[in-house]
Amino acid sequence: MPDIEMKPAKKDEKDKKDDKKSDKKDEKKEEPPKPPPTPVQEIKYNVVLIERGVATLEPRFTNRAMRTQTALRKRLDDVVLRNAIDEVFVKDTPTKQSLLSWLPEPPPPTEAMEVDSAAAAAPPAPKVPVPTAEPVPEVDMYFRLLMMHHFETSPSTYGKALDLAHQTVEKMQALNRRSMDPIAAKVWYALERAYELGSELADARPLFLAAQRTASLRHDDETQASLINRLLRSYIHDSLYDQADKLVSKTTFPASAGNPQFARYHYYLGRIKAVQLNYSAAHANLQQAIRRAPGATLAPGFYQAVHKLFVVVELLMGDIPDRGLFRHPVLGKALVAYFDIVKAVRTGSLSQFQTTLANHAPQFEADRTFTLIVRLRQNVIKTGIRRLSLSYSRISLRDICVKLHLDSEEDAEYIVGKAIRDGVIDGKIVHERGWMECGGLKGGYGPEVGEVFSRRIGYCLELHNQSVKAMRYPLNAHRKELAAAEGAREREKELAKEIQDGDHDDEEMGGEF
Amino acid sequence: MSLKGQYADLKASFAAQPPDLAKCGRLLTQLKLGLIQAGLLLPQGDLNAADLVVAREILEIGAFWSIRTQDVPSFDRYFSQLQTFYTDYATLPPSQHEYPIRGLHLIRLLTQNRIADFHTALESLPAAAVESPFIAHPVNLERWLMEGSYAKVWGARAEAPAAEYGYFVDSLMGTIRNEIASCEETAYESLPLKDAATLLFFTSQSELLVFAQQRGWEVNLTAGTITFAKKGEETMDIPKERIIAASLLYARELEQIV
Repeated sequence: MPDIEMKPAKKDEKDKKDDKKSDKKDEKKEEPPKPPPTPVQEIKYNVVLIERGVATLEPRFTNRAMRTQTALRKRLDDVVLRNAIDEVFVKDTPTKQSLLSWLPEPPPPTEAMEVDSAAAAAPPAPKVPVPTAEPVPEVDMYFRLLMMHHFETSPSTYGKALDLAHQTVEKMQALNRRSMDPIAAKVWYALERAYELGSELADARPLFLAAQRTASLRHDDETQASLINRLLRSYIHDSLYDQADKLVSKTTFPASAGNPQFARYHYYLGRIKAVQLNYSAAHANLQQAIRRAPGATLAPGFYQAVHKLFVVVELLMGDIPDRGLFRHPVLGKALVAYFDIVKAVRTGSLSQFQTTLANHAPQFEADRTFTLIVRLRQNVIKTGIRRLSLSYSRISLRDICVKLHLDSEEDAEYIVGKAIRDGVIDGKIVHERGWMECGGLKGGYGPEVGEVFSRRIGYCLELHNQSVKAMRYPLNAHRKELAAAEGAREREKELAKEIQDGDHDDEEMGGEF
Repeated sequence: MSLKGQYADLKASFAAQPPDLAKCGRLLTQLKLGLIQAGLLLPQGDLNAADLVVAREILEIGAFWSIRTQDVPSFDRYFSQLQTFYTDYATLPPSQHEYPIRGLHLIRLLTQNRIADFHTALESLPAAAVESPFIAHPVNLERWLMEGSYAKVWGARAEAPAAEYGYFVDSLMGTIRNEIASCEETAYESLPLKDAATLLFFTSQSELLVFAQQRGWEVNLTAGTITFAKKGEETMDIPKERIIAASLLYARELEQIV
């Protein structure tokens, strides 16, 4: 027995490393099985969670089941799914039939290995109470979701995934159960993925738009959040920033949506805002996205993508990103090209900027930050002028032109003039002599200090408020307090009454004396 | 079908040297009515590709026609109608007029200083489009404008890739002059008249004097200089109300936390 168990255990270890570590830990605390659960067990455990969630009307349980999705997804195969369905659906019902019809016929028992692992999974099964009745429709949806994810792993079954997704969505909308919302949100994600893999993302848009309307009418926040993100993603994928912006202005993102959805939403918003040159708003959105996203090691792809955009936006705002960012273990390698750009902007050297841009152009285009980075050119010039104005009190336009590699003195004069008007430097041009005179530095104790300070305070306060909102308040927990308060009030009343009575006594007594 | 005849007529009269603009306008109105009846003005669903190409061409001629007659709002209308053809019916054979029209649209955004819209429109173009001279021209203009290399913008006037660009370039020059003027107001204390004229791309002094009057500059004709009125030393006011509001906000938030 240990021989057989060892293998899956090792594989689990590996899976865990690159996936949701914390979730696994949570799960272990709840039910500490010595060997990590096999996929079938895990699915069954999740089914129980979902059923509990439906029974208690508490989306928390369903959400927990959903959280293991990422890890589970990589270990699915036809056999696992078939076995899981067989074990969960005891009776032969139409639901089971339709589920099984999607999977290929079980292979004849030549594949000893697979059968072994299935057999190994079988013995600990009784741990989970075997459901006797027909499982709730949510479980059906859950299996469909698992199958979709499974089909999306290989190009040969993309078509099947799409068909299944369509059928599932139809069924889901016909059922219209609120307890299904957390699963529904994921189903939409799977549907989008199926379209995207078939590179027909644009075709899914009308479907998403219709579903979004329905979801917002039904106050189905989870699905709504998921769908808004789906739509934004598809618009941005096709560079339809205009439409994306309109969608954002016409919808309100549900405040109760989960953090992962919020992180995505903020990322897309940041991207739209950056394209529209609204850098400070983009910066705020990206900061939110970073804060709400799962940790760097859990979702490295998202973390890197956000940071790439974040660095560019920060540069466009005229700030220089933290150097420590480029040494981060997850980001270091991904941000090499951006680090070079930062260096070029910092030194204010146009030629260095141009060569860096040319060297890394393919990567920037792949990241879709190229057009944003091209805009940095003016920032490079501005930084250059600012550096010159700090080090010289008077410099001829000819020298500025040479130092910044500008094309002509005439250009230099206009550029310096613009820099003065935009408030980049403080100074004036003396045209007759052809030089620029730089004014003294500002004291640094003006009202702008207060502004910076209040911006930071605002950030901290918002962080606090968001964390309060993010906390979970168990249902009916306040009852106890209420009861206690009630008791206290009762006692107080009694006391007041006694005092009153006492007063009367006193009075009476007083009257007697 | 009379629509076909009118279409041929429109093409012929637009291609004529010089084009008969008044006639084109009349034909365009009739053709648009025809297109609406055929359901082609705002196409939906699957339609005959050849019909769509014809509809697209009519609208393109309309866009060029609006610019020749200097009717910018009409150009905007034609452009938004054309966008359906360019983005939603990407399967049609590409039109050779697409990039010139998109370029014109970009320049129009520039002249109105709608930089955010300019970038949004630019972002939605494929990377290959930027290599087309029609798109590269406005992109360069924007870059120079942002940098402050106004001399290059002035120099690029003659390099317009299509005749229609000329119309926008003229109004662009007006925008640039105002930009330069506002830079000069802050960057210089005084400027010789002659140099001011070169900086603002005026060829004669009288033009400059009219412009100076509009901006309210002090012109000293005997010394031949312009003096820019200093906009007063910035008064270092303590923004009392803002500070009070901020403090009250902090107090309220702290109250909530405690």
